[in-house]
Amino acid sequence: MNHELLAADESLAGGAATPSPIAESSVVTLTIPCAAEYVGTARLTILGVASRMGFSYDQVEDIRLAVGEACSNAIARADAVSQKSAPTITIRSHVEPTQLVVEIEDSVANTGGENAEMDKTAGDDVNSAELGALLMEILVDEVTLETSATGTQVRLTKYAAMNAEG
Amino acid sequence: MNFTDTGSPDAASPASDEPVESAPKAVATPSAARVVSTDPAERLFSEYTRTGDKKLRDRLVAMHQNLVRYLASKFANRGEPLEDLVQVGNIGLVNAVDRYEVGRGNKFSTYATPTIVGEIRRYFRDKAWSLKVPRRLQELNQAANKAVDSLSSKLGRSPTIAEIAKAIGATEEETLESIELGNAYETVSLDTRMSNESDSAPMTLNEFIGGEDQNLKNLMSHGDLAAALDKLEEREAAIITQRFFEDLSQAEVAKRLNISQMHVSRLQQRALANLKKLLAEQEF
Repeated sequence: MNHELLAADESLAGGAATPSPIAESSVVTLTIPCAAEYVGTARLTILGVASRMGFSYDQVEDIRLAVGEACSNAIARADAVSQKSAPTITIRSHVEPTQLVVEIEDSVANTGGENAEMDKTAGDDVNSAELGALLMEILVDEVTLETSATGTQVRLTKYAAMNAEG
Repeated sequence: MNFTDTGSPDAASPASDEPVESAPKAVATPSAARVVSTDPAERLFSEYTRTGDKKLRDRLVAMHQNLVRYLASKFANRGEPLEDLVQVGNIGLVNAVDRYEVGRGNKFSTYATPTIVGEIRRYFRDKAWSLKVPRRLQELNQAANKAVDSLSSKLGRSPTIAEIAKAIGATEEETLESIELGNAYETVSLDTRMSNESDSAPMTLNEFIGGEDQNLKNLMSHGDLAAALDKLEEREAAIITQRFFEDLSQAEVAKRLNISQMHVSRLQQRALANLKKLLAEQEF
């Protein structure tokens, strides 16, 4: 499955070779079920959006990784709580002249105190939720996190590179 | 294991038999002013900071391999082998182990993650041509590759060298050169398995690389040796032939020539020395 995704990635990246100037903020919105098999879809969407903006290959990959981590965190939390309606994740990419802002908003209820169990997903001594949050901070320029009883919103901001060199 | 801040009451290991940790700075021998942690990693760190023992450092590095592996795996889809990323990540880990200070309130994993990830990202950033190629030709290579893509889709077939050259404004020779240069972007391991239709064991690239034919070289040496042997005194030549071509022992040769074994030994030494001299003279 990974291979199919990679192949699809490549063709998308190729099609976006010539970034057109972006006049004002436009928004690309995607809503996916809160399930691991849809993280790839989210990552693909980000690839399309970010590479149109002229980010370098590594920058695009950084953004995708950060978005993937945000989604994975939501999924891990969803797995830890039982909810009446199936939770979803909405990914809103705000394409702005100087930056890309990606909002990852999930509808996973925050009951408080449920964090104890979900952290063990990666096994052994690796706390994936915590490392995921750390990774996001390393990979993008700004990270903000808002939680409410009905969900969590992560805002990732990546500044557009001013230098042409990737 | 789970790293917790020193002094946090809900410390990780439930089997801990040291409830000392929630009583900070109770004991006050100057060297042991720090809070004793129940966390094995934290304790090792205190120990390492105090003693600088390289063995402890090794253990700390080994202890955090899962962290490195976990982080490296996040970058595994970017076209570099996971093992390479783990190696690079470990450079970051070692640096982090050396700089980490216990009792600053940060868990080690929190402290080390940016260092490890930083090292991995730097690896991607610095990844460049494996062989040093003149900048002008690098640019020409990129331009040629682009031209191949666009011309292919425009013409519906692979473009000719002449067409590519025209598109990038270079001579055909330069164009060819720049395209061939693409091979210098990546090096290939000598252990690379070559595809091989037959059922025999897969061959590595190394086995396909030509070398000097040893037999041919031996043939020439043989000629030289024969010529040199001719120039030896008769008895010396006989000894050499019997000892080295007929594989006889010194005693057997002695019997045949009707001289003592000691004598054979001496003559053989002289004969070999003469041979070496003769062969050296023949070299040119």
